[in-house]
Amino acid sequence: MRILVIEDDKDVASFIRNGLVQAGCNVDHAANGRDGLFLATTEGYDALVVDRMLPGIDGLTVIRTLRASSNTTPVLILSALGEVDDRVKGLKAGGDDYLVKPFAFSELLARLEALARRAKSAVEAPATVLRAADLELDLLRREVRRAGKPIDLQPREFQLLEFLLRHAGQVVTRTMLLEGVWDYHFDPQTNVIDVHISRLRSKIDKGFDRPLLHTVRGAGYRLDG
Amino acid sequence: MRLPRLFRTNVFRLTLAYMALFALSVGALSAFIYWATLGYLDTQTNAIIEAEINGLYEQFERRSIRGLGAVIEERVARDTEGRSYYLLTDSIGRPLAGNVTAWPIGVGDARGQWVDFVQSDSDTPVRAMLLPIGPGFQLLVGRDIRELTAIRQLLRRASFYGITLTLALALLGGVALALSAERRLAEINRTTRQIMAGDLSRRAPLKGSDDEHDELAQHINAMLDQIESLLEGMRHVGDSVAHDLRGPITRLRNRLETVAAAEHPSRDDLGDCVAQLDQVLATFNALLRIARVESGAYRSAFTTVDLKPIVRDVCELYQAAAEERQVALSAQAHESVEVYGDRELLAQVLTNLVDNAVKYTPPGGAVRIELARSGDRARLSVADSGPGIPAEDRSRVLQRFARLDRARSQPGNGLGLALVNAVTLQHHGRLTLGDNAPGLVVTVELPALTLPLPRAAPPSAAPP
Repeated sequence: MRILVIEDDKDVASFIRNGLVQAGCNVDHAANGRDGLFLATTEGYDALVVDRMLPGIDGLTVIRTLRASSNTTPVLILSALGEVDDRVKGLKAGGDDYLVKPFAFSELLARLEALARRAKSAVEAPATVLRAADLELDLLRREVRRAGKPIDLQPREFQLLEFLLRHAGQVVTRTMLLEGVWDYHFDPQTNVIDVHISRLRSKIDKGFDRPLLHTVRGAGYRLDG
Repeated sequence: MRLPRLFRTNVFRLTLAYMALFALSVGALSAFIYWATLGYLDTQTNAIIEAEINGLYEQFERRSIRGLGAVIEERVARDTEGRSYYLLTDSIGRPLAGNVTAWPIGVGDARGQWVDFVQSDSDTPVRAMLLPIGPGFQLLVGRDIRELTAIRQLLRRASFYGITLTLALALLGGVALALSAERRLAEINRTTRQIMAGDLSRRAPLKGSDDEHDELAQHINAMLDQIESLLEGMRHVGDSVAHDLRGPITRLRNRLETVAAAEHPSRDDLGDCVAQLDQVLATFNALLRIARVESGAYRSAFTTVDLKPIVRDVCELYQAAAEERQVALSAQAHESVEVYGDRELLAQVLTNLVDNAVKYTPPGGAVRIELARSGDRARLSVADSGPGIPAEDRSRVLQRFARLDRARSQPGNGLGLALVNAVTLQHHGRLTLGDNAPGLVVTVELPALTLPLPRAAPPSAAPP
């Protein structure tokens, strides 16, 4: 993946950069809005990481300018203000996802991968059946089968599996699940999400040799592709 | 150079301005009286002199210059008070008749005009007119204007004293007013100075007169009370943060030290450190969120929110976790109840309450969420069958970091109910903790939006 990081804080920028390089990404960095906008318009990136507060041109203006020139590169907004109206403002300006500082690097990486992949799959025709190994989920008939055997899921479990399948092969964090499946944007205090996952796991993995749904320590979950 | 304090006060300046205005009006009034009175007396004097001139001219026409001289002498003799003055001269200026012995200075050229001069022998001010009469003769007729001069001087003096007295009184009043205002304000200023120097327990003294100074002092005192309680709260939070975070941070530090000293640091150890640090960060975030809620930052984003789907969502979210702990979680929400607020915050309120309830309810217990409308209030309650909270501790657990002793063994940061309380207050609601016998029932009451009116039956068509 080729990623542009527009962030003025040197420590945060090098933290993100080192992590992304370790994860095998090709990273460019701009320390202010003007340089960032220039790079974003002249080079081709898979995703942008944009800090909201930037010297010169602020983050939201950078995104608005990009969108106005029909640049559709997915953008992840970083912000120190973890508030709902700020999130709404960021998404309205054309951002695709929103992450509040301080954040775990695994969360950032998971979200960036999800963004980059969503951008690619958007080009293809919308799928009506999602597949991972021998597991398949039919969106139209609301049916789930593994190795041809039907699996009975509750509506929320169905949504959960759909979200995991759409991000198959990637790490999905707990907050991403709470946002994507339940549409709430706060940290659940206890392990509520874990319990939902373990129930889903018992339904789709129990009795099969190869487990599909894995827990990624310190980060979240991954459904094997 | 700095003026003395008193003269820089606002009251004093205002009084000075009024004083100037007042002096101006007294001056204007005096001027009017002066011109009106003098004008009247002037006109009268002039009329008398003109009448005399006319009479003498008649005599001259009838009896020629000699006769005129005789008449003048006769009139001088008759005027015992000496109020009239006459002088008749021939063509070379020799006096022929009259009681003015010599030409007064400056009169020579002023023919046909009014002139004032001082009669040199008696030092009397005189108003006169000089007229040519017959071939080369000149006639001067005048009148004593001592009275006019005296009145003029009297009026001038009166105006002067009037204005001076006004100014003096105003200055005195200004100083007195400024002094009294200054004294009251000085007390308040002294108090604020002491507070700025660090003594926040000081209060501005009240006089009990209920005037604007008392009101100001009351407002300042109320403000100080609020600042003091906020500071107290901050200090409490600071202490609690220090107390609650010192533990985990110290443990983390020791752990990291061990890891750093180890020859082959294990990945698990580092992962645990990160998890511990995340816990600390979560506490910080929770504190920040409470502070943001209390500052009213969310209010601009308030909108109409239906509580029913939130109850359904949260119940569903916690269902699995509750079942795992063998706690029966149920929700009763028959009707939609709309409130004006923030969906995320309200969902978090319910999440925190259900989280607590599930956490503290022993296996085999039950947690019940209820949503109902009672009058114009939305009642959202979470009841559990756990150990409950003793009545005397109920107000304490709403504070930040307050944790009952037996809760210390459970994970949590002691901020859950504090956030619930803050959000409820921001929604103009009321939070009550009650006894569920056994267990705790927490009720959040919020102002409900009015129901849409039930659709009335269509009016039957009136008969024609």
